[in-house]
Amino acid sequence: MPRYALLALAAFLTLAAPAAAEDKPTLTIYTYDAFAADYGPGPGLKAGFEKTCGCTVNFVGTDSSIGALRRVQLEGASSKADIVLGLDTSLSGEARATGLFAPHGLTPAHLTLPSAWTDPDFVPVDFGYFAFVYDTNRVHTPPTSFEALAAEPPSFKIALEDPRSDTPGLGLVLWIKAAYGDKAPAIWAALKPHIVTMARSWSDAYGLFLKGDADMALSYTTSPAYHEIAENKPNYAYATFSEGHYPQIEIAGLLKSSPHAELARQFLAWLDTQPAQAIIPTTNWMYPAADIGGALPKQFPAPPQKVLGLDEGTITENKSAWIEEALAAIR
Amino acid sequence: MLALEDVTFAHPGAPAGYRLTMTAAAGEVTAVRGRSGAGKSTLLDLVAGFLAPSAGRIIVDGRDVTPLRPEQRPVSILFQSETLFEHLTAARNVALGLPGRADAEKIAAALEEVGLGGIGPQRASTLSGGQKQRVALARTLLRAKPVLLLDEPFSALDDDTRASARTLVQSLTRRHGWATVLVTHHADDIAAIAGRVYALEGGVLRAG
Amino acid sequence: MLRSADLGRPERPFRLLAGTAFAAAIGLLIVALFWAILSAARARAGGEVHLDVGYVLYITTLQAGLSTALSLAVGIALAWALNRLRFPGREVVVGLFASAIVTPGLVVAFGLIDVWGRAGWLGGLGVPIFGLGGVVGAHLVLDGAFAARILLGRLDAIPEARLKTGQSLGLNAWRRFGVIDWPAIRGSLPGLAAIIFLLAFTSFPIVLLLGGGPSVPTLEVAIYSAVRLDFDLNAAVTLALIQIGLCAVIIVASSALAPVATSVARSGQPRWQDAGAARAAQWIVLAFALFGFGAPLAAVIADGAVSVPDVLAESSFWSSMCTSLWIALGSSVLSLIVALAVAAASAAAPGRALRTLVAVPAYAYLAVPAVALSLGAFLLVRDSGLQPETTAPLVVVLANALLALPFAVATLGPPFEAIARSRGRLIRALSLGGVRQFTLIEWPLVARDAGLAFALSFCFSLGDLGVIALFGTQNFATLPLQMVRALGAYRSHEAAAIAALMLVLTIGAFVAIPKLFGRLGDAGA
Repeated sequence: MPRYALLALAAFLTLAAPAAAEDKPTLTIYTYDAFAADYGPGPGLKAGFEKTCGCTVNFVGTDSSIGALRRVQLEGASSKADIVLGLDTSLSGEARATGLFAPHGLTPAHLTLPSAWTDPDFVPVDFGYFAFVYDTNRVHTPPTSFEALAAEPPSFKIALEDPRSDTPGLGLVLWIKAAYGDKAPAIWAALKPHIVTMARSWSDAYGLFLKGDADMALSYTTSPAYHEIAENKPNYAYATFSEGHYPQIEIAGLLKSSPHAELARQFLAWLDTQPAQAIIPTTNWMYPAADIGGALPKQFPAPPQKVLGLDEGTITENKSAWIEEALAAIR
Repeated sequence: MLALEDVTFAHPGAPAGYRLTMTAAAGEVTAVRGRSGAGKSTLLDLVAGFLAPSAGRIIVDGRDVTPLRPEQRPVSILFQSETLFEHLTAARNVALGLPGRADAEKIAAALEEVGLGGIGPQRASTLSGGQKQRVALARTLLRAKPVLLLDEPFSALDDDTRASARTLVQSLTRRHGWATVLVTHHADDIAAIAGRVYALEGGVLRAG
Repeated sequence: MLRSADLGRPERPFRLLAGTAFAAAIGLLIVALFWAILSAARARAGGEVHLDVGYVLYITTLQAGLSTALSLAVGIALAWALNRLRFPGREVVVGLFASAIVTPGLVVAFGLIDVWGRAGWLGGLGVPIFGLGGVVGAHLVLDGAFAARILLGRLDAIPEARLKTGQSLGLNAWRRFGVIDWPAIRGSLPGLAAIIFLLAFTSFPIVLLLGGGPSVPTLEVAIYSAVRLDFDLNAAVTLALIQIGLCAVIIVASSALAPVATSVARSGQPRWQDAGAARAAQWIVLAFALFGFGAPLAAVIADGAVSVPDVLAESSFWSSMCTSLWIALGSSVLSLIVALAVAAASAAAPGRALRTLVAVPAYAYLAVPAVALSLGAFLLVRDSGLQPETTAPLVVVLANALLALPFAVATLGPPFEAIARSRGRLIRALSLGGVRQFTLIEWPLVARDAGLAFALSFCFSLGDLGVIALFGTQNFATLPLQMVRALGAYRSHEAAAIAALMLVLTIGAFVAIPKLFGRLGDAGA
């Protein structure tokens, strides 16, 4: 016990006196807490890049990716950050509009994204497809579309995330919009009897599902792979929807104000190479953005047949209205 | 010596007020009798400073104490009940009479003088009614103020205890030259120890 | 002219000054937070509020009002039962009840789901736990037991003499409650009600988890989305001010209700059991409470127990536990000091207006939306030229202390007031100074309550990190954050184990700390 106390004290003190060490440059990356935390890809990426860069990588984890963006917006030109990592394609338009990001000038190769990558300001980090995950022991014939889901008996429950507080929640709004356009509110209204709740975060909604209070939870097509790999439980699957699935691509961007622009660019370039991407699947449980060949665990499912998409400008312009429309339909 | 000179006071909302004049000599017990509700406690509150008179003066040993706050008045008071802090020991209660650090010898001597030597370490909550009043008297010894106010102090005591308690009050008053004011409705208390007697009636003090 | 009651109150200008200074500092801090947000907002385009504020306020107030009324009713019944009944393990039960309010709300909410949910122990009964009922139910579990713990403290302090009088008069159980118990607990009710109302009003994760969709909205969610999603700081400030304004009405109203002097004593109470129907009712109340409050917590422990050995074997658990304990210790000491100062000043204040003025800021912090706090704190720290990463621990300690302050003030205020009222004359007559009044009279009498306040602050502060959401949390591991991280990384077993351990730690703190303080108080007597 005293040893741990000392360890903690040491940790506390290092907090108070951060990385003043040596004269190596420090690359500061703002991201969301889970990405930077022990379980996440942060520590692996840090160690990997530090091997070659002659620098120190400092992940700064805020509570959410949108928090990271808001922080650089508030800090403006005085920000210490070089890179913001972890935003996704539903927020890229808004992030671009802040004018804080610089073109990366990179052409990442061997990408495995659902569509070709042409974004001049952001590079992809990883991606996934939103999907409803279920337990095959409890649900034997999962619904195959939103309409089929709506037609289930009212006792069939789904756990969702609130689009105002969590990205998968926002993702579902976009998913239904992409699939149904103007008919989206009708779909939402039809889903209403099945919604057990709209939780604040993915982990709350998923926890509800794991406890058995929902038959399905809004998550990712890759979620079942976690249970199979880490828990050796093959009884989780996602329901393939005939409308197609909506992708979430996590992105990273270089800040104009970065004092180490060249170093930051090197990191972004390295991020889309095989050694970096191989860290992603079993730490963030998302698909790597670039091809990592046999390093992708075989439990990761093949991508869905049909993939939906929305134009970035349309998302940025209508996001709030779509959220309001969806919430109004189920209020 | 304590003197009240035309001290007037009225409780808010009360129709009639008080107009009080009296003197209490040093080394003597001055009794104030009256039916309950006559205002005996009001009189003591005025002297102790818990009530402020609307006119008149209160003089102690030639000094006008009317403007003084309760803490500053040269007065000790023994309430009818709750004279001690029950959670403290007898000695600690007595020590409250001293302004500074507790002086164990003085405390022991004071307890000895009221006939309670050796009771110091006991909690106040474990003492009998008579013992509590004696401990409170020991405390006034240490305070060494020229005026002692007693608000029905013997009411809760049995006959024997009460006889010895009032004898103690009388002897302490004489020995230390206090101007002691005893407020009571018991004729035998008055007969036993009072030098001078006032009657409080209709808001006015009359001798006799 | 001053009234006699006020002349019976010792004059303590230094206490008034210290308490007023603390109150002013808290008030200023809140103003500074908003000022920082507003100056950041000025740089951006102002938006309008897309929100039916009236409807949101109506539902939120209804929810918070129901939560408060039910929590107080249950709290009174339970305190009454616990005061009368003696049984083995009573202290642990009391500790368990007190710990509910400081257990992270989500842990309790998931505990409720374990019991009442579709797949829960009693899922077959079909009790609807999603929707308004579920939200109120969760708040009831969190706050009702807490109210019981506070009120029990007041009942246990009823002076022996009063009980003996009542017993000799042969008061029956119901008159005993009306004549002896009610006057003793009345003084604590307004403060408790204000706290519970504020907690329920600003509740966020529980409302979303159990609300069953957007039909149970709260202002907090709207403010969160204005700050984070829309980055519309003007709208956020508007909404936050509405929330603070409404909460302020509650706070001032509750503080303005004259604090009725409660009794303070530390006497061994005589055994005076009620008989017949009352006693049966007490056992029934206890049984229901034990089940209603205990089952969700027991579910949390049962859920996590399996994985506890794994978690204990991880050094990251121990380091985050140490961090949590440091933070808890720092903020509970701070909170206790400020609470003692505020309670003492409030009891020394000569008029009701001043008394209210001193005590109100202690509660105000609860009314400020969490997301506004985190944003404001970040901006304040940056504007002062400090590094967010290095100041984070201090900010957490300060924020947690302020968060726990209302509970500490509500616990300590009534006994200080009682001493000023009932012993004020004697204290004045003896010309006791402020220091001796504290060390000899007040401290020995309030030590147990102070211990309770300390335990509350301690457990509260084991780890709320909301305030440093933007500061950079990666190097900062506390138990709750560790739990959230485990949940976010699919490791629900680990999260359950951490939740169980936190709960055990909390209950332990509630049994041990008030006892320890009781000893400290005895040493002073």
